[in-house]
Amino acid sequence: MGVTCVSQIPVAEGKSVQQTVEMLTRKLELLGAEKQGTFCVDCETYHTATTTMGNPAQPGKLMYVMHSSEYPLSCFALFENGPCLITDTNFDVLMMKLKGFFQNAKANKIESRGTRYQFCDFLVKIGTVTMGPSARGISVEVEYCPCVVANDCWNLMMEFMQSFMGSHTPGIPSVFGSKHDSVYSPADTMIQYMELLNKIRKQQQVSSTGMR
Amino acid sequence: MADVMNVGVNLEAFSQAINAIQALRSSVTRVFDCLKDGMKNKRTLESREKAFIAEFQDNLHSVNRDLNELERLSHLVGKPSENHPLHNSGLLSLDPVQDKTPLYSQLLQAYKWSNKAASQQMVEEDVGTMGRRRRFRPEREVWRPEEPEPKSPAEGMDMAEMDTMIQLQYHAGLASGLLNQQSLKRSANQMGVSAKRRPKAQPTTLVLPPQYVDDVISRIDRMFPEMTIHLSRPNGSSAMLLVTLGKVLKVIVVMRSLFIDRTIVKGYNENIYTEDGKLDIWSKSNYQVFQKVTDHATTALLHYQLPQMPDVVVRSFMTWLRSYIRLFQAPCQRCGKFLQDGLPPTWRDFRTLEAFHDTCRQ
Repeated sequence: MGVTCVSQIPVAEGKSVQQTVEMLTRKLELLGAEKQGTFCVDCETYHTATTTMGNPAQPGKLMYVMHSSEYPLSCFALFENGPCLITDTNFDVLMMKLKGFFQNAKANKIESRGTRYQFCDFLVKIGTVTMGPSARGISVEVEYCPCVVANDCWNLMMEFMQSFMGSHTPGIPSVFGSKHDSVYSPADTMIQYMELLNKIRKQQQVSSTGMR
Repeated sequence: MADVMNVGVNLEAFSQAINAIQALRSSVTRVFDCLKDGMKNKRTLESREKAFIAEFQDNLHSVNRDLNELERLSHLVGKPSENHPLHNSGLLSLDPVQDKTPLYSQLLQAYKWSNKAASQQMVEEDVGTMGRRRRFRPEREVWRPEEPEPKSPAEGMDMAEMDTMIQLQYHAGLASGLLNQQSLKRSANQMGVSAKRRPKAQPTTLVLPPQYVDDVISRIDRMFPEMTIHLSRPNGSSAMLLVTLGKVLKVIVVMRSLFIDRTIVKGYNENIYTEDGKLDIWSKSNYQVFQKVTDHATTALLHYQLPQMPDVVVRSFMTWLRSYIRLFQAPCQRCGKFLQDGLPPTWRDFRTLEAFHDTCRQ
């Protein structure tokens, strides 16, 4: 488990999501990266039932339950800006039992699926973000496995991302800022995914309301 | 020619003696051939044995005969003159054409160097238990004519021969020193005999007490705050170090006394133990960057060598290793980039400790 940066790449003008992904993977393969199967990250949203909260005026907090194929035996439960809980996959069953407190917003399920590439000590996962039946965007996850301190290797990762993402290279992720010299953990990756998927979901809602 | 006769060599007898030696050699060869071939195929076992023994006896007789002949001739040959301390080689120095053909000075030099090589070889055999060649500094090896070492090449000679040998060595030492003064300042030529400048004690560092090793290591540990060294001795007296450098990497160092035998560099988050909880000194890192650093660390082991002061070697190596604290942060000093073929600058210069890509270093 190394330092990871999750970012979004906009769909190229006049191209479909699929075509943009293909362009990106071709660049990676030209660089010398090797295909290594697939990956999947999904995120389900839970509303806290407002009746059980102390103050009914306060809007219910959102909780996200996420899974990642990189950690097949774990389940991540996070609040926005809040703590991140790493549990066994049984947690899903527990959430069913807690229906009275947390309600699953089924329509909000969003996931990113795609191919996993390896280049030297880098892992690159290019995924198509889908919500329901339609593709919404493209996620790019770059992991530098040998390093465990985020700020140590950021410049190095940025140089690598520039080599295939060009002008769409992201800035330093916000989770890096709070890490200082501490060891990077899988939860930090999931927080980045949560933020990215939320962003894509909100873009969707804005554009769909704009269209109406 | 008169000179030669004075020396007392009977040339006629000499050539006969050489012939006799050849005869002896061939008869001895015949003995062994006969033994090698074994019994010839005869009808009965008895006749086989008989024929074999007869042949063997014949051969031994001929050996005996040739040996007697050689002994007889050796008396005729006579001894080389003993009034010249350097024997026949001394005659060379009388050669008037010396100025044109520097045969004599070359001979002395060659003799001196072969002597040195022999004594070094002995030293290396002593150190050879390490199974690895150590570097030696030839200037430390000054030949002491007065005190031949017990294992000197002169071993097994009688006293008179030993004496001339020592004289020859002494002479060679002085003469080649004088002849050599302007060239190749490798030997301590100050007439080579001052008793104060004994050759340094040869590396006895293979048998350092464990306590001393512990001290050296703990001193190094205190020197570098970002580096922690954990010493253990799982396999008897040889120490194993687990060096953790910041949050960048871990190094397993296998020591023999104070010599570093092997190093393996792994990632900070990699497992360094085998299933039964011992340090895993065999498997390599999963990451290419640390495999590369392992290679470079092995190169560094060969670079930092100073058999007389092994503690300095360990300290230099650790100082060099410490420069990897910025493995992922330092760009290459030559091309200015971080990555080349997906790897950060893994090479650290041995002197300046600057970071370079493997292919960017000179």
